[in-house]
Amino acid sequence: MFSASKTFPTAHEDLIHDVKYDFHGKRMASCSSDHSVKIWDCDEEDQWNCTAAWKAHSGSVWRVTWCHPEFGQVIATCSFDRTAAIWEELLGEQSREGKQSHWVRRTSLVDSRTSVTDVKFAPRHLGLLLATCSADCVVRIYEAHDVMNLSQWSLQHEIQCGLSCSCLAWNPSMFRFHLPMIAVGSDDPSSTAGGKVHIYEYSDANRKWRKVEIISMVTDSVHDLAFAPNFGKPYHTLAVASKDLSLFSIKPIGNLGKEPVSGGAISKFDMHRIAEFTEHDSKVWRVSWNVFGTVLCSSGDDGCVRLWKANYMGSWKCIEVMRGNGKKSEQQLEPKTTVVTASNNQNIRSPPPGIMNIKRNSGWPSFSTNADKGKLYY
Amino acid sequence: MATERESETVHLNVEGCPDGKLQAIWGLGNQLFAFSGSTPNTRSKGRPAENRAASDICDVRWNTEMHTSITRKLVNETHNVFVMLQGQVASSTGSNLQSQMVMSSKQYRAILKACSMDLMHMAETCEDEGERESFEDQIQIFEMIQLIWGFCQILFIEVTPDGLLLNQLLDWIKWHFTDGKRLAVDILHDEIPAEHPAYWEAIFRLLLQGEVDSVRKLLSLNTSNQNEAFLSVDELLRKMPQWAHYHHALSAAEFDMKWRHWRDECQRRLEEGHYVAFPNLETLVMVLCGDENVFAEMKDMCGSWYHLLVSKMLYQNPTVRAPDLHHYAEACMEEFTLSGTRMGELDNILLAAIQFDIHQVIKDSSAFLSTGSWWFVSHFTDLLHHCGQLDTQNLAYGSNLREFLLLEYASSLMSHKSLWQVGIDYLDYCSVFGRTYITQFINHMSLDNEKKAHKLLHICEERNMQEEVQTICKVMGMKSLRRGKLGAALSWFLRSRDVTATSKLTERLIMEYSKTGQFEYTDILDNLGPAMFLSNRLTFLVKYREFHKLYESGETNKAASLLLSLLEARLAPRTFWITLFKDATPLLESKEVIFNSGQTYVLMHCLEELRHELDAKTDISQKLTDMEKDKLDLLQLCLTRNLSKAIKAEGTVKTS
Repeated sequence: MFSASKTFPTAHEDLIHDVKYDFHGKRMASCSSDHSVKIWDCDEEDQWNCTAAWKAHSGSVWRVTWCHPEFGQVIATCSFDRTAAIWEELLGEQSREGKQSHWVRRTSLVDSRTSVTDVKFAPRHLGLLLATCSADCVVRIYEAHDVMNLSQWSLQHEIQCGLSCSCLAWNPSMFRFHLPMIAVGSDDPSSTAGGKVHIYEYSDANRKWRKVEIISMVTDSVHDLAFAPNFGKPYHTLAVASKDLSLFSIKPIGNLGKEPVSGGAISKFDMHRIAEFTEHDSKVWRVSWNVFGTVLCSSGDDGCVRLWKANYMGSWKCIEVMRGNGKKSEQQLEPKTTVVTASNNQNIRSPPPGIMNIKRNSGWPSFSTNADKGKLYY
Repeated sequence: MATERESETVHLNVEGCPDGKLQAIWGLGNQLFAFSGSTPNTRSKGRPAENRAASDICDVRWNTEMHTSITRKLVNETHNVFVMLQGQVASSTGSNLQSQMVMSSKQYRAILKACSMDLMHMAETCEDEGERESFEDQIQIFEMIQLIWGFCQILFIEVTPDGLLLNQLLDWIKWHFTDGKRLAVDILHDEIPAEHPAYWEAIFRLLLQGEVDSVRKLLSLNTSNQNEAFLSVDELLRKMPQWAHYHHALSAAEFDMKWRHWRDECQRRLEEGHYVAFPNLETLVMVLCGDENVFAEMKDMCGSWYHLLVSKMLYQNPTVRAPDLHHYAEACMEEFTLSGTRMGELDNILLAAIQFDIHQVIKDSSAFLSTGSWWFVSHFTDLLHHCGQLDTQNLAYGSNLREFLLLEYASSLMSHKSLWQVGIDYLDYCSVFGRTYITQFINHMSLDNEKKAHKLLHICEERNMQEEVQTICKVMGMKSLRRGKLGAALSWFLRSRDVTATSKLTERLIMEYSKTGQFEYTDILDNLGPAMFLSNRLTFLVKYREFHKLYESGETNKAASLLLSLLEARLAPRTFWITLFKDATPLLESKEVIFNSGQTYVLMHCLEELRHELDAKTDISQKLTDMEKDKLDLLQLCLTRNLSKAIKAEGTVKTS
């Protein structure tokens, strides 16, 4: 049940492409077509305040991502201007109150010849690694050699995917026998080009990233994908946003949990689709997991955000649907829908009527003494 | 089966761009950011179009029912019961454990009841319409939970050895249906009680709950109470066998016999027409006889099928056993459905309980009562689990049902600023995933201040989570570093045992000394102990500081040999050698011989090494100014003079 929602204007001059919380949920970064990035901090009263805004690129900024705080306050962005950039917050003693902060560009990664479509930091235990993917079919892995000096990054690996890449995701598993893994999605429109999700694994022995799996079930262009946090489960869960929303279980076969993959052998996986949802009608643009990997949130072309949750039997269901009141969708809404439009931006909503079936249950004893008195047979 | 709550579309007040689509990204706990975002279709335009409104971001939170001041009390108090119960499960067994179980169940219910009453009070005094409605919704849920819990406690937790449960069921009904008692109080306060319009209704309501004494009291207030019919009814009521009075003395069969005798007597008197003059009394005795038709008439006074069921059992089959209950339940339900009452989720949950389908009870309760929080199902399932009522096999996700629900509950507490600590205690009792969940918890907790960091560190240390301790210290160190608090940063990095960060930071401290000639953070440096060996740089810094202390206290010989060993061990960064030589100059220039010839040779060797490197035009040479290079020449002179002094002195000593 939704208990509270709070809307605040971002003052971005164009479409927002991405919004990300930091690790602790107290800071947020947004990026937009207006070439800018903004940083938001949550204050004591739970209000979000913009503490930094700057023009980060010379094109639309597609994605923004936070680095683990043990490396400092660092974000990475990627853009239509064919670059990705690393930004670090400077905070001298003078600006300690945190009203405004200053972010400096530590480096620009200019290896791509086309728009850089996604950027993600590796899970912390792998070190300070950054993966980017771009429309020129290449995934690039960069590494910072000196974590105290973020201006030096070297291109460690280039993975040729053969398909224009739209999104990538690191497998966050911290289980020590799981090799580093990346899933890459492609927005290539032709359905004859085969599976649109490629999975790569890093082999220590060869010091190379190798393709270990292609999800051939997904042949439509992929817009987003995300691994669920693993928690030592014997399988990985990957959510894929494509024509519909799919969940895949990827289970390493054989040596899992016993020993690391030996030598140059390629890991084998047992993969199957555990759920497929077409509720978004047409296309799914975005997927995002909660911290515990128990609830998935998907956004689709129907303008709805849906939350999905598995019960203890492992069957996934939609538990919540959200719809905005953007101008476009307002026209599409049937007149009966009541849209809450409070003018103040702090807007606590009571649950909509009928959200619980309890009310309709007349066999239920009443609890208010006053109400009971009225019912007596005087 | 209860139908699952259909998800309702929630409308968010997100002012969007015309071609944007609502999208959402997860935050911490139960928090989402919704915004009107781009799609590949809108992306391809590449440049900003005109007339685009500024976009909003919506911070959405849900399942925050447990975060209000009242429900927070519920969370905290039941947390104590939970932790205590887990301890008892580990330490006691058998009937002792069972009675503990019952007690815990009662404690949970008492806390819930108190919370529910607080909510009622809030709802009554609340001004805001919307707020009151949400209070009332919450109260409704809590009351339902109490009803289910009370019932299941009878069936699954407080199981009597003889399997009879009518007395408990009556108590349950009396607790949740109080109209009869309330009416009776009203009537007793009336001037002429027998003329009260609800006089007979009160009597029947009480009778249906087996409140014989109250019924007799009300009847005695009637104006015709000395009439024979009244006296006869009073006698029947007085003689009604009550299991509560007999169950220590009689077996169930004996009681049953006694009860049949009594009912035959009721039957006889009714048939003989003792009560024809008083239709209400006649109805009353028909109830005593367990007449099917009269119960059908009374069903509205019961209000629900389960009340009707208990009332019927009281007068038709007082020795009914739990497994047989469901035979009668369906008939009672039918009574209500035939008259058009819709069976809701609550009815289904209770019916499933009567059918001993615990998994269905939990499943339906999860689907239906966990919209706000997992409080009920998690605690309730934990109890049932310890009572041995659940199969403990692992589910597909990797552990059992109890753990699944406890994990849900604990994670729902995560986004609250104080309740997360409660969540951690619950995770401690999740054997399979608890630890990884705690790790995830800790990793995502914001380290707002030192106090919170220390609290988290304490939690990690209690659970021996070294990796998390290091991460927290590293993050805190980076934070202090960014704020320019180098001392604090140093102690955090030392605690995290992060060599790279410590070395980098020490270099900064050394640089600062070279610039200012002042030692900062001396309290930390002087009290490091063995921690200084974490990094060579740090060892150097500490030793160098020691040199200064020795020098200041006039122990020049010790100071000199320490300085020498610093140079000899090559611990100092090259750039700092000049400073070291500068420090050596006054020692060389003093009247007494402090560096002997051998030591002086070593110093000269080091100087040569430095000069050599400068000539090789390495990075260091760029960092040195010309003036500093000139000083090296001066130093050379000092060394030579000292050498001659030393040789002379040594020679003198030998000859003497």
